[in-house]
Amino acid sequence: MSDDYRSMWTDLGLDLEAHDALLGVLGNAYREIYLAQQDRPEGMGYFDFVMSEVHGLRIKELLDEKAAGRKIVGSYCVFVPEEIVLAANATLVGLCSGADFAMEEVEMLLPRNTCALIKSAFGFKIGKVCPYLESADMVVGENTCDGKKKAYESLGHMIENLYVMDLPQMKSDQGRALLKAEYDRFKAAMEVLTGVTITADALKEAIRTVNAKRAALHRLLSLRAADPTPISGLDALLANQVFFYDNPARFTASVNAICDELEKRVAQQQGVFAAGTPRILISGCPQAVPNWKLPWIIESAGAVIVGEESCVGERGTRHLTDDTGRTVDELMAAIVDRYFQVDCAIFTPNPDRLMHIKEMVGAYHADGVIHYGLQFCQPYLMEAIPVEKALEDENIPCLRIETDYGMEDAGQLKTRVEAFVELLKP
Amino acid sequence: MTAMAAVRRLLDQFSAMAEKSLLELEEARERGRKIIGVYCVFAPAEVIRAAGALPVGLCGKRDDPIAAAEADLPANLCPLIKSSYGYAITGTCPFFAVSHAVVGETTCDGKKKMYELMRRLKPLHVMQLPYAPNLQGAQDYWDTEVVRLAAFVEEMTGNRITREALAVEIRVQNHIRRLLRQLHKVNVADDAVRVSGWDLLPVLELRNFWPDADAYAERLAALVQALREVPRTAASYNGRPRILLTGTPLGKGSDKVLRLIEAVGGVVVGMENCTSLKSAWSLVDEEDPEPLQAIARRYRALPCSCMTPNEGRMALLSELVTEYRVDGIVDLTWHACHTYMVEDAAVAKHLERTGPIPLLHLCTDYGQNDLGALRTRIEAFLEMLQPDFHDGKEE
Ligand code: SF4
Ligand code: SF4
Repeated sequence: MSDDYRSMWTDLGLDLEAHDALLGVLGNAYREIYLAQQDRPEGMGYFDFVMSEVHGLRIKELLDEKAAGRKIVGSYCVFVPEEIVLAANATLVGLCSGADFAMEEVEMLLPRNTCALIKSAFGFKIGKVCPYLESADMVVGENTCDGKKKAYESLGHMIENLYVMDLPQMKSDQGRALLKAEYDRFKAAMEVLTGVTITADALKEAIRTVNAKRAALHRLLSLRAADPTPISGLDALLANQVFFYDNPARFTASVNAICDELEKRVAQQQGVFAAGTPRILISGCPQAVPNWKLPWIIESAGAVIVGEESCVGERGTRHLTDDTGRTVDELMAAIVDRYFQVDCAIFTPNPDRLMHIKEMVGAYHADGVIHYGLQFCQPYLMEAIPVEKALEDENIPCLRIETDYGMEDAGQLKTRVEAFVELLKP
Repeated sequence: MTAMAAVRRLLDQFSAMAEKSLLELEEARERGRKIIGVYCVFAPAEVIRAAGALPVGLCGKRDDPIAAAEADLPANLCPLIKSSYGYAITGTCPFFAVSHAVVGETTCDGKKKMYELMRRLKPLHVMQLPYAPNLQGAQDYWDTEVVRLAAFVEEMTGNRITREALAVEIRVQNHIRRLLRQLHKVNVADDAVRVSGWDLLPVLELRNFWPDADAYAERLAALVQALREVPRTAASYNGRPRILLTGTPLGKGSDKVLRLIEAVGGVVVGMENCTSLKSAWSLVDEEDPEPLQAIARRYRALPCSCMTPNEGRMALLSELVTEYRVDGIVDLTWHACHTYMVEDAAVAKHLERTGPIPLLHLCTDYGQNDLGALRTRIEAFLEMLQPDFHDGKEE
């Protein structure tokens, strides 16, 4: 990344030394995991560029937007509706939380038994290494799991513009009413932040923008049903990750361009792995940048990942928002309806998730499922056992993995994954 | 009989009642009463009783059924949840057996997801707790949850819940809450401590098991009266460091921290947890013409760590510290309980700012392996509170 950015980072208050270290790690990991892959689609060059400029050009763009009076909103969760943010003429960016940072200091504020994702969010703040976080005019937290919910209380002491959204836990009429009340409150907060009154036209346009980017991703993901698969799971995951912070229109165009290429590959039966390679669906906790550990282990063990049932994946993007409403109220109702379908494990009961896993197994012709649980994530670890049982009842092999961001268990995971992949071979 | 002997006799009666409570519940069941198992202080007893049903506490306190629970649940989970679930699947809890239905609530992720599995075993009604007690949307939500619970018990019992019945039950429960507060206050009057936390545990626990609430209240009133008569000089625990226990609930079987504190020379003068004062502090407004709403308002203000922010707990801690002239606080967290564990930091900060008052965090489970380590830490803490407390013990 060019040196021109250093003064930008300094202005944002980043700790340059720590930040250099982070970028060093990120760059190395990207080279070793991504650039080392064979036969990647050419279109992935776009994502390589995005990643190389992830703390550079994209931040500069955001700062230019800010200079022009636009507000930046950061989010930790797929329940924060991008449509509302865009309609208020603001930009939403995901705050990724996919790497350990400043762990010693973090563990002075949070119990050691906290999931890596939450600790990472704290580490990036304490270490002053996340330019997205530091450029945000508002950071939105949400009461999803116990850990996050309680951690926001402490994070609120470090991030003055933290806004916390309550979420329902049950998919009842009352649950929907709670979500609606919270989205209305969020809309009002966005209007205060930006000084923009959200109109029906703006909402409609925002819905279309976000739907378009989801649809582009759907197109890409559905191409993975082919055997051989035209794109690696690692690359598909990257597209899912970049979804959270790229400019929406550009993202849509770039993904569609990749899809054109992938369609040709499929027609020519060209893939990144040979036909007949064991196909795996990953299901469970989100994998935020640069958490590529498990997919990397899986794909170096001779399998290919054909789908992610995850917030950074289909759970987060599969539903579109109905854009046919004419009034703000109708469109807001459509937004509530859309997000209320997200089958996150914080909901009880959460039968849709299991159905969706099975559906994805069928649609992507997966041979087995790897359930990915972050250590200490109770919602997903609690669901893991029943999910595994239900899949095995239908003769779908399932491997339950519980891990964190550290590399200490990489060897052990590799052995387990290899044994599982072996099992899937015909 | 000395005043203290009278107190002891009453305490024994509570223990004797505890032994008879299952029988009483079975008899009530035979007479056609519906029994509803509850796991949490958020399930309003007033509503269940007003429908003619009897609530009974099912929260697991023992280690025994945990191994069985781990077949379905992750090992790294709060022992209270594993114990509760283990009792249910192994069929070893007679109180679970005697219940017609159970009421769960979404207090924490672990419990919430555990109920999904428990559903197979009993009719189960889950109440959703909104976590942001200061937000209107959350408050409205909780109001409807209380109404939904009322409908569930009405359906179970076939009885309609009337305003009058609610008013009666509100008064009874408030009366019990006032008595529990008095009990603790009288116990530490005149700078003396008459009975220990361990002595009071059966009294507190019986509240969740004794079918006849009026009879329970009567016993409680007698105990308060008897304690009043114990003169300062006859009190058994004077001069010991006075400890307030806070955090996760406990009971017979999961009482090791309470016992250790008192075994090494402290005395627990109050517990800010659901077993005790957390669930006894605030009252339901008896004057409110809408009793169901008054109930909802009172319950949603319970200062449980599942709430965010949980300012109520900080305020309650400060009140208790003053009321019982507390020397030190022990904050107990069950292993893997995220909400209490994360809140530790807020508690520490609050006490630092307002006291400061010495605080000891302990995180443990229902096992006995760490008794030695816990004892050492508690001893060191008490030593710090009162450097000469060892001498005091020998008096
Ligand atoms: S991975 Fe699990 S514990 Fe971690 S933030 Fe997400 S839901 Fe919470
Ligand atoms: S102690 Fe904590 S984890 Fe256990 S049931 Fe209570 S709130 Fe849940």
